[in-house]
Amino acid sequence: MIPLNCYLGLSAIIFAIGLYGLISQSNGIRILMRVELMLNSANINFVAFSSYNDDLTGQVFVLFSIALAAAEAVIGFAILISIYRMHDSIDLSKLNLLRW
Amino acid sequence: MLPILSLIVLIPLLFSAITFLTSTREQARMSALAGTLITLILTLYMYFTFDSTTAALQFEELASWIPSLGISYHVGVDGISMPMILLNAIVIPLLVVFTWDDVRAAPNRFYGLILAMQGAVIGVFVSLDFFMFYIFWELTLVPLFFMVSIWGGPNKDHAAIKFFIYTHVASLVMLLGIFGLYFAAWAQTGTPNMGINYLIEQFSFIGSGMAKDAIFLALLFGFIVKIPMFPFHSWLPDAYAEAPVAGSVLFILLKIGGYGLFRVMLPMLPSTGTPSLMITIMGVLGAVSILYGAFLALAQKDLKRMIAYSSISHMGYVTLGCAGLVSLSVSGAMFQQFSHGLIMSIMFMSVGVIQANAGTRIINELGGLAKKMPKLTVIMMVAFMASLGLPGLTGFIAEFLVLTFSFANVPGYVIIALLAIVVTAAYHLWAMQRAMFGVYNEKLGEVVDLSTNQVFPMTVIALLVLYFGLDPSPVLDMMITNSEQIISLMAVLGV
Amino acid sequence: MAIEDLAFLIPILPALAFVLTFFLGKKLPSGGAMIPIAAITGSFLISIVITINMLANPEHVISQSYHWFSILNLGILIDPLAAVMLSMVSFVSLLIHIFALGYMSHDKAQSRYFAETALFTAAMLGVVLSDNILQFFICWELVGLSSYLLIGFWFEKPSAASAAKKAFLTTRIGDVMFLAGIILLFTDIFKLVNGTIPDGVYLLRFDEIFSFIPELSAMTATILGYEISHLTIITLLFFGGAVGKSGQFPLHVWLPDAMEGPTTVSALIHAATMVTAGVYLVARTFPMFLAAPQSLIIVAYVGAFTALFAATMGLVMNDLKRVLAFSTISQLGYMTLGLGMGAVIGAEAVGISIFHLINHAFFKALLFLCAGSVIHAVGTHDMRQLGGVAKVMPITAATMFAAALALAGLGIPGTRIGASGFLSKDPIIEAAYLFGEHGGSWFPYVFAIVAALLTSLYIFRLLFMTFTGEPRSDYGGHESPASMTVPLGILGVFALIFGALTTKVFNGFLSTTFLNDFVHMDFHELAGLGGYELAHTAGHHEPLLILWMPIIVALIGLLIAFVVYYLKLIDMSDIVSRNNPVYKLLYNRYYQHQIFTELFSIKFIYEGIALAGFYLEKSLDWIVSGISGFIIEAGEVLKKAQTGVIQQYATAIITGVGLLLILVELVTEVF
Repeated sequence: MIPLNCYLGLSAIIFAIGLYGLISQSNGIRILMRVELMLNSANINFVAFSSYNDDLTGQVFVLFSIALAAAEAVIGFAILISIYRMHDSIDLSKLNLLRW
Repeated sequence: MLPILSLIVLIPLLFSAITFLTSTREQARMSALAGTLITLILTLYMYFTFDSTTAALQFEELASWIPSLGISYHVGVDGISMPMILLNAIVIPLLVVFTWDDVRAAPNRFYGLILAMQGAVIGVFVSLDFFMFYIFWELTLVPLFFMVSIWGGPNKDHAAIKFFIYTHVASLVMLLGIFGLYFAAWAQTGTPNMGINYLIEQFSFIGSGMAKDAIFLALLFGFIVKIPMFPFHSWLPDAYAEAPVAGSVLFILLKIGGYGLFRVMLPMLPSTGTPSLMITIMGVLGAVSILYGAFLALAQKDLKRMIAYSSISHMGYVTLGCAGLVSLSVSGAMFQQFSHGLIMSIMFMSVGVIQANAGTRIINELGGLAKKMPKLTVIMMVAFMASLGLPGLTGFIAEFLVLTFSFANVPGYVIIALLAIVVTAAYHLWAMQRAMFGVYNEKLGEVVDLSTNQVFPMTVIALLVLYFGLDPSPVLDMMITNSEQIISLMAVLGV
Repeated sequence: MAIEDLAFLIPILPALAFVLTFFLGKKLPSGGAMIPIAAITGSFLISIVITINMLANPEHVISQSYHWFSILNLGILIDPLAAVMLSMVSFVSLLIHIFALGYMSHDKAQSRYFAETALFTAAMLGVVLSDNILQFFICWELVGLSSYLLIGFWFEKPSAASAAKKAFLTTRIGDVMFLAGIILLFTDIFKLVNGTIPDGVYLLRFDEIFSFIPELSAMTATILGYEISHLTIITLLFFGGAVGKSGQFPLHVWLPDAMEGPTTVSALIHAATMVTAGVYLVARTFPMFLAAPQSLIIVAYVGAFTALFAATMGLVMNDLKRVLAFSTISQLGYMTLGLGMGAVIGAEAVGISIFHLINHAFFKALLFLCAGSVIHAVGTHDMRQLGGVAKVMPITAATMFAAALALAGLGIPGTRIGASGFLSKDPIIEAAYLFGEHGGSWFPYVFAIVAALLTSLYIFRLLFMTFTGEPRSDYGGHESPASMTVPLGILGVFALIFGALTTKVFNGFLSTTFLNDFVHMDFHELAGLGGYELAHTAGHHEPLLILWMPIIVALIGLLIAFVVYYLKLIDMSDIVSRNNPVYKLLYNRYYQHQIFTELFSIKFIYEGIALAGFYLEKSLDWIVSGISGFIIEAGEVLKKAQTGVIQQYATAIITGVGLLLILVELVTEVF
């Protein structure tokens, strides 16, 4: 059986990749993808703990999380499309209309 | 037995809601008059069945509200609060009559706020539980804020926000004091209780003198900003001057700061870590306010601002009387609250009429109004004379008691206050001379005198000023009963 | 029903008349004047009956007390002192009211006039019969209010409105001192009884106050290194009140301006109702003064100085009423001096001073009413435009002459022949002589004698300038109607003979003021408390020259006035000119207006302190706005952290979480 630490390590690596992308990129779609990555790294943790603790709650939670991620992606992309229509670009670092 | 205290708080609030829902001016003012009159009748009934020979709480109602936090619904009156309730119940119906013919935007909201204010202020006076006390205390801010910011003068927004934030910050400091008291008592006894008298009793058992002083000063700060005392008064001139007449009168009736001194501060005073320091603070603030307010009133060019500063000066007697620590000086301070409410109501009504009819209230732009407004001049003269402390009117009784009986304990401050008496007379008479006497200023055009609905309330209040000036016993006796109790408790504790 | 039971009506009747006239007067003929006249007649009748009863039995005084509120009372005390004052005040006031019927008949606001004079009379009667010092103060303040209303009666005239304010404020300075005296007195007595007061005992009643004199005199306070007894402080504060009300130096400045009201009001103020209140206050509390000799000396000096000081100014005024106003101040100085002489002659001082007060009331009311009669007829009060008025107004001229004789104090020393003023002023000057002889200073005597010379000079100057010679302008007058001349005639008779008729009984009657069933003072014991001895005056004889001195100087004054203003043998134009510094100083009234009004009130109090306060207020406001401004500024700076760049937010979150983790790690390691 694969030890728990391996799952946790995988999850951490994926989370770090997502985080790095989130910080370094300014393209809206890429940022959304990075957020998905980070969410899924958390899902891996849930499932891993759930399986090692024999407790299904974690897996149920993951289902919620996936549904939420889907909803979030839908809204996120919809926003990005409307941003693109207004600015001909989805470079989020240039969106500062609401700043102070 | 009628739950009369709950009724006199709830009826104005109820009628306030009804008034908000009315759609015409006619309905709004009728509803306001009905609400205030019912309150007046109930209050008069309560006043005449009130026993002024005992210092105990009367018409008490007690019900548990949030037991886990020791909060209860507890109301009652004694000689400290009864005259204050009476003052509110008498003046506010008259205020409704006074504004009867005024044309203004949104009369339903205007009268609704007046009623809400009445309910909130009476609520403060009857509350015997700090939780309720604080809720009503903060509730009084709301009507006044809107009163100023909707119907105020040219600088209304600044004045309203300044008033609101200034006094609200003070209330928060007071709330900290209440919490300090509440949790300290909880820690000592193991049971929570928000009762005012209970917490005052527990106050003396707090171990650390520093902690007691901190709690005392936090509460004191909340009260003296509301009174207000120099140097925490700078919200007052702006708010009083920018408010409409009704707003200024409501401000005047907001006697909760001074009331807090009698209800909370004085009984706590002997248990503080350093009572002599606290007495000094109150004495200095009182005496300096009297003198400072008088000089500032002398320097004003705007009649309404002059009256606002004169109000600061007069309220100084309240604090000074508390510092006097003799039962009659404390009664004098209570009586000053009552008398000041009556006198200043007429003053602000007079200025309101002058501004409405002559178009300005800058003293030098007026002149010779006595010729065109004889009725106003007579009533205003009574108010001015009462305000400068002429014997035979209420102001003198209060000031005489405060000055005479404070002298034994705080002679220096009394001497400072005495210096202010001449200045007080000077600014009143000088303003009267420039605004009302002399040659009529033709630039003012045709000025009309008071209308009937204005004469009536002003005359009634002026007669009350005269009546209580000649025979103060009907309200003074109950004040003396209670202040004697406060002072005798102090004697037990050795102050 | 005994007359004592009606005593309370004495002030109540005019007070009711005030209310009735004020509200109903406009609908009645001549402004409802009959209401106050009837009311004051009632007061006068009650007073005179009480006085006559009391003459027979002076030890039996009327004293009634009613509970007011708390530990205070209201009450009536009519002893010989109060009885003669009540009779005088109501009598003179009555005559002035009758005179005003004619004098004010053309004024539209006459109902207001009569209402306010009724209030004035009521307040003064209230002062006189108060049995406690607080009630005394209350009525005293009402006197001040009425004078304010009446001096400002023609409020449309700016000068009248200003004079009214000045009168009220100046006397208010004195009132505050009086109030401070009451406060100190009350506090001391309250302390002496340990705050426990038996039922029915009122600490502020005069008998209670007097019974505490020994204790008060033993309490001392140290002020500026001097040890002063509380009694001295209290009496000086009381005297401060008297200085304000009775127009003594330096608070006399309101009195000359007070003639802005109708002349009848001046007559009321100067003769019957207001200025005498101050003298009466000192007389009423005289036992306290007797035990505080330092206060008495100050009273004497202030009085003597005022008598001379005011007389010098009276000499150069050209306004008929202004001369009389300064004359009042000067005569009040005599009364005050007389009271101060208590330091040698004890309680007799009250008698001689009040005797002068009563006589002065008659002749000064007469002088003012005559002046009013002249002004009413000719329409001016500038003496330079008058002259020869005696031809058109013979009755007025004759009565004025009688009043002048009384004021100048002409009579034959050593006998009871003389005008009233002579019989009452002479004892005061003699007392001043005694004072010098008994080791005091000679200043009071010298001042009093010089003032007597000037008095005679200025009053005959006024008489000759107004009534004799040729008219200096075209005024066309007529004799006044009977309602005006009858009071003049009555007062004229009183001014001439009242003194002669009563001089024998008066002193004896008043000497029982403090020796009766209400209070019984031992004057030698009081003097002992003050550390001095009273002189034995019985059988004392001054040198003949001293006895004749007042009458000699009065005749000299008359002679100078006769030579200069009647015969016009000496040309005064060199002396009476702006180039003469002495004349200029006097004419400008020692620049009091400049000093008191402009320098002190406006420059110092208003522009100095009030405006300084104004700037202090600005800076307080600046602090409050500063705090709110600081918070807003801080927000302006801190909001820059919200860049709107998601990457930066993410970085900040991660950094924050990281730091938090490290912190938690560290904390858990430490504990």
